[in-house]
Order: sequence, then C-alpha cells, then structure tokens
Amino acid sequence: MAEMKDFQCTYDNSAGISGEVTEGLKLTFPDAYLHHETMAALSKALKAHDKAAFCELPFCHTVEAEAMGGIVNYGNEVAGPRAKEYICTTPEELLELPEIDLSAGRIHEVLLACKELREEGEHVVLQVSGPFTILNVLIDAKYVFKAMRKKPELMKEVFWKLGNEILKFMEEAKRYGVELISYADSSGGLNILGPKMAEQVVEDFTYEFLKKAEALTDDKTMILLCPKTTFALFGTGKARFRDHKLSGAMAYGEGCIEMIGKVKFAGQMCIKNVGYQLENGVFKEVVLE
Amino acid sequence: MSSKEELLQRLSDGVVEMEEDDVAEAAQEYLDAGYPAFDGIMEGLVDGMNRASQLYEEEEYFVTDVLLCSDAMYAGLDILRPYLPEVSNDDKVTGVIGVVEGDTHDIGKNLVKIMLETAGFNMIDLGRDVPLAKFVETAKEENADFVCLSTLMTTTMGGMETVIHLLEEAGIRDRVKVMIGGGPISQKYADKIGADGYSQNAVEAVKLAKKLLDIA
Repeated sequence: MAEMKDFQCTYDNSAGISGEVTEGLKLTFPDAYLHHETMAALSKALKAHDKAAFCELPFCHTVEAEAMGGIVNYGNEVAGPRAKEYICTTPEELLELPEIDLSAGRIHEVLLACKELREEGEHVVLQVSGPFTILNVLIDAKYVFKAMRKKPELMKEVFWKLGNEILKFMEEAKRYGVELISYADSSGGLNILGPKMAEQVVEDFTYEFLKKAEALTDDKTMILLCPKTTFALFGTGKARFRDHKLSGAMAYGEGCIEMIGKVKFAGQMCIKNVGYQLENGVFKEVVLE
Repeated sequence: MSSKEELLQRLSDGVVEMEEDDVAEAAQEYLDAGYPAFDGIMEGLVDGMNRASQLYEEEEYFVTDVLLCSDAMYAGLDILRPYLPEVSNDDKVTGVIGVVEGDTHDIGKNLVKIMLETAGFNMIDLGRDVPLAKFVETAKEENADFVCLSTLMTTTMGGMETVIHLLEEAGIRDRVKVMIGGGPISQKYADKIGADGYSQNAVEAVKLAKKLLDIA
C-alpha cells in the first residue's frame, strides 16, 4: 500500500469576506448569512472579488450540524458562523440526534440560494462537510478520538448516520440545480488523525460513502474532493488519477466547469485556491477503485 | 504492596498507553501508600507525557494519541494535585494561549497547551473563538511572558496580526513574546505579521518558547 500523504492548506487560498466585498451591498451581519436572497448576493460579490469562475455556498461549515441541533454563533461581517457550545459528550448521544429537515432552516435557505444563483446562470459550488467537520460543532474532538479507540463500531455508526444525512443533502442539492458539490473534511485530516486512524476512517467510511456519492454524479453534476480526501484515498489504494485534456490552460475552477458531465470526481487541488492554474491543460479525474 | 518505583512506572506507562482508569487507580494507590504527590506528578505522569511527546516527535504517535495520553495524565493530576504543597505560580513563566476569534478548531491549541504545561510553563487557556482584545487584557493582568495564537482557518489568520498591534498599543509588546501556529500558518506568515516565532507542532512549540524566553 502506498504511503498516505497530506495536503497542506495554504494561506494563498480565498481570503474570506473583507469589507471591500460587502461595501455597497447594503447587507447587515449576521443577518446576511441567514436568508437565501442575501446569501446569493454575498456569494456573487465574493465570486467577483476573488475573480472566481463560480459562486460558493455556504460561507461556513455549520449548516449540517445546526440542522441536527448544533448551536451556532452566527458571527459578523468578518468572522462567519461557527460552533458555539457543544451539545454532546458521547457517541450514544450523537446517534440520538434528529435527522436533517432539508425543507426548513438555514440549510434550506442555502439550497434556495443555490437555486437562485443557478437561475441567474451562475455555476455554484456547494460546500458539503464531512463527519469530522460536522462533529466539530456537536462534540469536543477528544470524545470522538477516544470513542474511535475504545468504541470503534459505535463510531462507525456515527459516521454513517452523518454520512447518510450528507448524501441526502447532496441529492437534494441536485434538485436545486447544483452542478458542483465539494466534499471536504479537513478536521479529519492526516495531520490530525495520524496514518493509522486516517486509514481506519477511509476503510470504515470514506470509501464506501464516496461510492454512494458517485451514484449521484451524472451529466450535470460532479463532486469536488478536498485534496486531503484525495490523498487519503490514494494512500489506502482506493483511488487513482486519470488525465483528461482540457481545451487549454485555465484556472482549476474553470477546468472543473468544463469537465462537468465528463468526470465524476475532481480532487487535485483545493477549490478555494481560486488562482490555481492548470497550465498544462490537463485535468486529473479522481477514479475510485 | 507496590514500591514507589513500581507505582511511578505504572503512572508513566498508563499515560503512554492512554489508560486513564489505570492511571487514576495507580495515583490513588500511590497516595494511599503515603508517597509524595510531587514525585508522582513529575516522575510518573510528566515522565509518561514526555515519553508520549518523544513518540510524537518520532511520528509513532499522532495528535489523537497525544490528546488521549493527556487525558490519562489529567486523570492522575486530578487525584495527586490536591496533595501538593502550596506553591505560587509567581516563579513560573506564564503564557496565554487561545484560538483567535472566528475559529473554533482547538485540537492543535490544546496539544500545545498540554506540552507547554508538561514542560513546566504556567498556561492560561482562553479557549477557542477568543475575542482578540482578550489576549491582550489577559497578558496584562497575568503579567504574561508570552502569548500563543492558533488558527486553522485562512479567514481568521488576520486576527493574529491584530493581536500584535493591540499588544503594541497597550505598550507591552516588548515584554510579551508572540508565538503562532496552526494549519495555514508558516514562518513566512510569522515574519510578515511580526510574530516572534512559528512552530509547526506542539513539541516544536516547547522548544520555541524556551528559545524565545532564554530558558535552558
């Protein structure tokens, strides 16, 4: 088996929301994070500011967890929504959390904002979080790591409970017109879990989960993997790259758009790295084994 | 009955093996046998944590392992600490640590805190999503020698520079060292914002703190 590598997040990535982006939009914060009209307006403004090929939504990694009962601090103009206090201390409590209602709350507003942007002709990247990122809002990570060691079967159940909610979210997103679904779980990266636990997560969850997610891809929808996930799959022998020739050199985001309908998974670069250029015009599809 | 050495070994091994129940049990036996709490902490628990940190440095252990080791260490500390003779923190080098406002990822910060505490620093943990002014207020109130700032997010990195400016405004920048770390942080970024140092991991953070503060 190949050695698992890690992808280093860099600070050259998208710089978040700055005052110049929101200037003139007449938005108030944190209200702007809560309604689809303002979410869409903000997303478009960020796209223009970053000179990106697509709009991104949401602006945080808390919508899934909030929809399961997590408590969120909506933040302000500078720092977006994030976790407040934890609501669980055991995996058993996590398993008792309610299913996500995709027709209500902020998660529904996100879907509506995606639809609105699509109707305006924008390409939308919906950022979906993986289980560790969702858990980061619900429970102190030390309980997760302890349970992974002491109660691995129970944690597998937790991962799958969250995984099934994520799949439902992805499927619903397609109905709202989303073409590009990004999947990231950097809170469960190799640098945090170590190779043994990272491998356990791929074996117990990620690979099977992505097999199911693969079934959601079609001529209009593709999935963008965080490179940390790509490398975890490679390191466990679960995936490989397949090259595709693009029409020319272009930004990674533009390459993803060009490849919609032609590939199922992208994952060679962080989608937030909007300036990243595919100078040789080669797009690397991630193919699950 | 076990000898003092045997119990110290059990405390140390329990920490390395992440067995908090064993550590708590050994700590209680150790106290019941009348041995001094201080030795139990230093030669048992801290010794175990130092071994764990060595394994971390050698990439045998990872973040999750060290966190679980520290849980075991704290389980023993909870039992032994009440039996320590009263000592003031005045002689200890004090650091303020926290995750900057806007970010809630605190695994790395917790690890750095644990390692610095194990190394004998008096650490004041402000937690996660900490208002930037709070670092400065606390550094002033506690007469801190250094401040450790952490973030995993690119969007909140700017807060670190703000803390440095606030320390300058408060007139205490020259006596408070600033250390930064976290996923997207680099030495380049530390240089850019005028931090005194960057460390890539918790073991390096201890070395850096000692270097910056001239501690052997």
